[in-house]
Amino acid sequence: MNNRMTQLLGVSICALSLIGAPMVGNAGVIGAQTYLSATDRQAMLDDIDAVLARDDVRDQLERYGVDTVVAGERVAALSDRELMSLAEQFEELPAGGSLLGTIGVVFIVLLILELVGVINIFNRI
Amino acid sequence: MTMRRCLVTVAAIAATGCATTSSLPTRDSIPELKNVLFFPQTEYECGPAALATVLTSTGIETTPAALVEQVYVAGLKGSLQAELMAATRRAGRVPVALDRSIERLLDEVASGRPVLVLLNLGLKRMPVWHYAVVVGYDAGADRVTLRSGDEPRRQERLRRFLRQWQLADQWAFVATRPGEIPVTAAPESYVRALVDAEPQLGRRAAALAYDALLERWPEHSLAMFTAANRKFADADLERATDLYRRLLEQEPTHVAARNNLALVLLERGCRSDALREAELALTDTSIEPFRAEIADTLTQIESAPPQASGGGACSGG
Repeated sequence: MNNRMTQLLGVSICALSLIGAPMVGNAGVIGAQTYLSATDRQAMLDDIDAVLARDDVRDQLERYGVDTVVAGERVAALSDRELMSLAEQFEELPAGGSLLGTIGVVFIVLLILELVGVINIFNRI
Repeated sequence: MTMRRCLVTVAAIAATGCATTSSLPTRDSIPELKNVLFFPQTEYECGPAALATVLTSTGIETTPAALVEQVYVAGLKGSLQAELMAATRRAGRVPVALDRSIERLLDEVASGRPVLVLLNLGLKRMPVWHYAVVVGYDAGADRVTLRSGDEPRRQERLRRFLRQWQLADQWAFVATRPGEIPVTAAPESYVRALVDAEPQLGRRAAALAYDALLERWPEHSLAMFTAANRKFADADLERATDLYRRLLEQEPTHVAARNNLALVLLERGCRSDALREAELALTDTSIEPFRAEIADTLTQIESAPPQASGGGACSGG
């Protein structure tokens, strides 16, 4: 974990300096995103958190089979709050797919429930 | 026979966990949104298929195949909610998450907007996640009409739909063109949606969206502040000044608005006005989250060349 954090920090420091560049012309302006983050007590995010989360989510996407370049493009369109949520619980979040992804005991239980009419999913595959 | 009864009992116990207490709405039928296209899902791709359905309804030309690269995660054999929102932004649309209420969901459909929903077709502990799009409601039969999986027109009993939706935390969103605001949107949640989408929208679409925002909620603090920021970014300094000032009349302790007003004034060459606003901001008690920005603003003002006399836009002094 420590190693990972160090690595993330290394990457994020580079990323921060990159992000800093286009801001020069607008120094001091309190942007909408900054304002919302600062006034939202539930999500007191600062820029460093968001940068860390962005790197983390991109790594996760890559680990789950998304191409590196594509993963970078994908995380770019996520909001700070979405990034934080994905970074914290990537594997626990719902990923809408289909029943083909369900295996073993789970499949059998679902099949039984389907037969007795509690659920109704198998005609959708 | 006994076996069967046993299974039913197990099933009943399992089902209790998902039983819902919310009452079902009584409301008029909503004729099916016939012009909303259907894309049959292939294998795990209910995410791209449902997304293509809502995006094409807003005039975007796309297909599930084209969206796979933006939302599908092979290792999860599915698509994540946040990524459906992100892909909507990349298409130049504003995704707006709806309140977790069936009434609101159906209000949106009634207004002509298809609603993308996450459903859990399985059980709480054994979820089978699925995305579908609600396109109508038949009050007589008490069924919702869905574009779902390989069914262009699935008629799902409302009670069953509700259970599946509630097991997915009642998550739903609509895709809107910049400048259009969902009928059920609250100002805070819509502004958030817009702010999140703004970097992907492009200047013209963003300006259009903020104009519509102000038209809908002309006196709302967050709407005024974010719209003023947009005007500032677009170098419409006069409108920006006006909006910040109106907001500050309403809410004199809005430190962020005062800081930004100081910068607009500086940009307009009104150094003394800018200095006055920045110093006012500095004395405010709610300065804390923005201390660094305000200090920076003051430095900028102080290092700016002295104000030329007779600046028409300035109050002087």
